[in-house]
Amino acid sequence: MNLITITTFLPLAGAVLLLLSSALASRGAGRGSHDNLYRWITLIVTTATFFVSLGVIKEFDLTVAGPQLTQKVPWISSLGANYFVGVDGISVWLVLLTTFLMPISILASWGVTKRVREYMIFMLTLETGMIGVFVSWDLLLFYLFFEITLIPMYFLIGVWGGERRVYAAIKFFIYTVVGSLLMLVALIAVYFYNAKATGGVYSFDIYDITRNIATGKTVIPENVKLWLWLAFALAFFIKVPLFPFHTWLPDAHVEAPTAGSIILAGVLLKMGTYGLMRFNLPFFPDISQKVAPYVMALAVVGIIYGALVAMVQPDMKKLVAYSSVSHLGFVVLGIFSFTDLAMQGALYQMLAHGVSTGALFLCVGIVYDRRHTRMIADYGGIATPMPQYSTMFLIIALSSLGLPLLNGFIGEFLILLGAFASPVPHAKLFAVLGATGVILSAVYLLWMLQRVIFGEVKKRENAELEDLDAREKWALVPLVAMAIVMGIAPMLFLRASEKSVNGVREAVLGKPAGVAVER
Amino acid sequence: MQLENLNLETLNLNYWAIAPEIITSLTGVLLMLVDALQKKAERKLNAVVALVGLVLALLSVFRLDAGGSYFGDMVVTDPIRVFFSVIILIVAMIATLLASQFVRDEGLPPGEFFTLLLFGTAGMLMLASAGDLVMVFLGLEIASITTYVMAGYRRYDARANESSLKYFLLGSFATAFLLYGMALVYGATGTTNIAKIGAAVNGGQIEYPALLLVGVAMMLVGFGFKIASAPFHMWTPDVYEGAPTIVTGFMSTGPKAAVFAAFLRVFAAGFAGGSAGLGSDLHTAWLTALAVIAAVTMTVGNVIAISQKNIKRMLAYSSIAHAGYALVGFVTGEYASVAFYMLVYCVMSLGAFGVIQLLARAGDRKTEIADYAGVGFEAPGLTFSLSIFLLSLAGIPPTAGFMSKFFVFKTAWDAPYNLRWLVVLAVVNSIISIYYYLYPIVVMFFRPLAPGFVRPKVSLGTAIALIVTLFGTFYLGILPNRLINKMGSGSGAAQATQTQVLNRR
Repeated sequence: MNLITITTFLPLAGAVLLLLSSALASRGAGRGSHDNLYRWITLIVTTATFFVSLGVIKEFDLTVAGPQLTQKVPWISSLGANYFVGVDGISVWLVLLTTFLMPISILASWGVTKRVREYMIFMLTLETGMIGVFVSWDLLLFYLFFEITLIPMYFLIGVWGGERRVYAAIKFFIYTVVGSLLMLVALIAVYFYNAKATGGVYSFDIYDITRNIATGKTVIPENVKLWLWLAFALAFFIKVPLFPFHTWLPDAHVEAPTAGSIILAGVLLKMGTYGLMRFNLPFFPDISQKVAPYVMALAVVGIIYGALVAMVQPDMKKLVAYSSVSHLGFVVLGIFSFTDLAMQGALYQMLAHGVSTGALFLCVGIVYDRRHTRMIADYGGIATPMPQYSTMFLIIALSSLGLPLLNGFIGEFLILLGAFASPVPHAKLFAVLGATGVILSAVYLLWMLQRVIFGEVKKRENAELEDLDAREKWALVPLVAMAIVMGIAPMLFLRASEKSVNGVREAVLGKPAGVAVER
Repeated sequence: MQLENLNLETLNLNYWAIAPEIITSLTGVLLMLVDALQKKAERKLNAVVALVGLVLALLSVFRLDAGGSYFGDMVVTDPIRVFFSVIILIVAMIATLLASQFVRDEGLPPGEFFTLLLFGTAGMLMLASAGDLVMVFLGLEIASITTYVMAGYRRYDARANESSLKYFLLGSFATAFLLYGMALVYGATGTTNIAKIGAAVNGGQIEYPALLLVGVAMMLVGFGFKIASAPFHMWTPDVYEGAPTIVTGFMSTGPKAAVFAAFLRVFAAGFAGGSAGLGSDLHTAWLTALAVIAAVTMTVGNVIAISQKNIKRMLAYSSIAHAGYALVGFVTGEYASVAFYMLVYCVMSLGAFGVIQLLARAGDRKTEIADYAGVGFEAPGLTFSLSIFLLSLAGIPPTAGFMSKFFVFKTAWDAPYNLRWLVVLAVVNSIISIYYYLYPIVVMFFRPLAPGFVRPKVSLGTAIALIVTLFGTFYLGILPNRLINKMGSGSGAAQATQTQVLNRR
């Protein structure tokens, strides 16, 4: 069986197992008596998925730009839709990020006591959905997975969330659905234009369509191009979220349970930036070039606005949420720079952000579990009772703000460097303005650290806080280790994505243009 | 049909061609006998007999030959008939399974209920098979009159009486429209046979085109009423709210699908065709009218549904909206997309009503959405099923609702006639609809539980019905390939004439 298929559906199989387990387990036992069993099953399934996905990396061929390790089975033959999965240099890392974060978020949700079985079923379904998005090479299949991720997340926020969870869950759902349904129309349109060009060969094959557009075989009429671009972009901009479509994010993050936030920030947001790279750029190269300055401007506004708003947040979780807006701004800036450096940086930033922000939410969650408050003002000096925790929090915060030798630095540096060399008009200005975001992120993160970790222990409750227990260490240490590895050995990751990223860049600018990467 | 050539040879009798109708009618009669002869305590038998009859009818549908016409062209066997007969019989079976618990819980006489259900089904099957306007009328009347009675089956309940009476009065009004339209069309063309009407329209022998035009317009109103399209939808919410939930489920699916079948055949075969002249003008006229009706129907249904507090009313408006989506498929001329849409709609809608019937309790006491606060995890099997049906109605993948919408949108986008505005409108409508479909889910899962909740008992029949509809919702959503291919190969003929006209544009 295909390795990708196994990675994708292993979590779903776990969910089915949990679903059936109740039929066997609930006889004669009280509610909650099997919760630990459910937790362990989920942890084992997600960990197994991670190891399977490591196999994908092992099999991965660095010299191929297109999809590999593919499996293609006819799905709806009259439409030309296939079950077509595979990975390229871009998606392989995002799959790995997903499978890596998943066991960690299960560990982070060990403390969930409400309806554990259903919670775990939703988490596992969500994982299948997320991996499916990254491995789909069929437009319809992609759309299917893109939407499937909504439902579990909606329930995770709505049932297991904080006080304003209902509002946040509905807002999350409606925002995302508005974007994705418009994308559905655009997707159908592209499908028909492609079929027309190929003489009636109906196909949802993303790779085929991309090549047909690149070779000029498939021509999308000028008058609809911009609208289709906008329909795709809106779906992804909302998901990213790019300023001014970000307003759902702080609500969703604040109300989501810790694991929900980790997954939301770590993976779901990347579906947006991934979509931009996979669809908007190769499908509409000339429109993408035309609008690039505007998108970069929005990205820069997002970087600075997100950072400024993060700075004044009294709530740690909200602060981290707004920092996501700022950091994802960098990713969009990099993608629309159309240079290999910046786009590689954008991909790297996606991964780095997934690790760092996931870890930041975890850190917030750890103290929240102890004190049931996220307000910065309620803490102070917790380095004294919690030295291990504070060290990890410090490292992670530093990685998020872009300290060299940690993961955040590589991405941001590459993006800014690449943006500076970008052929897009005014790109230099945007790069310079974007760079202020790095400084601002140092301000809000360090200021938060100072108020939370350092100084005197002002409140008596904080003096007695217990340091990390074994479970929390198991969750946090891999993240910190990954942040350090990614900071020291970026080529380990960048080598695999080089070909594919280069392919996307060439799809936009054509072969000779752009700045070549020094190897 | 002229009287002078009435002899047995030209009539072309073939009892296999009406086997489904015969079997369902006979089962109905048999049920009356069974009910009369058995003791009160053994009334489970009714549902079993009804089911057996329906299964036999379904088997006989698969025996139908493709593309024949029998009994003096009164009955046709074309793909439209086969698809829709299958849909109708599936609806009847699921309704039977659900109804067995309903009649038992409420202590209603089961014999008559299942008899009515089967006679109604026979009427719907006739509608789907009609090759003649007279048959359309007969089928429609049989189907309607039985549903009028079923709507008021809970005799002691004032709401059910109101529902039944309203349905009867307004329904008769619409039937009158339809009948008057048929009369005018007969006056203009000199025949009630649908194929011959088509030939007359395209043959250029019509003396009074105005007569025909008025007739067609009146038939459009009549059919428009029966499928609950705007602006002829006013009766729907009251009737759906007042009728027993299972009856609401039945009449919002079965008769609607059957009327769609007749609607498709009458308009596509009777009032269409030709590349110029009257046939083509007529075709353009009703296509344009239908496109507008589809747009209005979707929008009215979805927008008003948002403000509904009662789940049955909400689903009534939702069913109006879904008629609108199906009409989009109708306008494209690709009938496979309509048939698939109706199948999916029937499955998910019946499933939703099945769960609501249980949650509403005997006598439909709890049909306000607020009544379901917090019941989510108390009866997870039911509430998660309901959520899946609602998400499917909203068109969220991987459910069937998404696939059916996708097929309609895709067909409309590619239609030879410019329908892209309709697709965009339909998508905007889907977005609106998500809000109200999510609302019951929010109430069920995210709100605290109201005290005094008792888990509803689920009978075996209901459980089977829910599992079947749930399975169907996922199966048609994830693996629709086989069905689509079957439909695709069958609908080509019906589509040909329409495409011919449209290509001219």
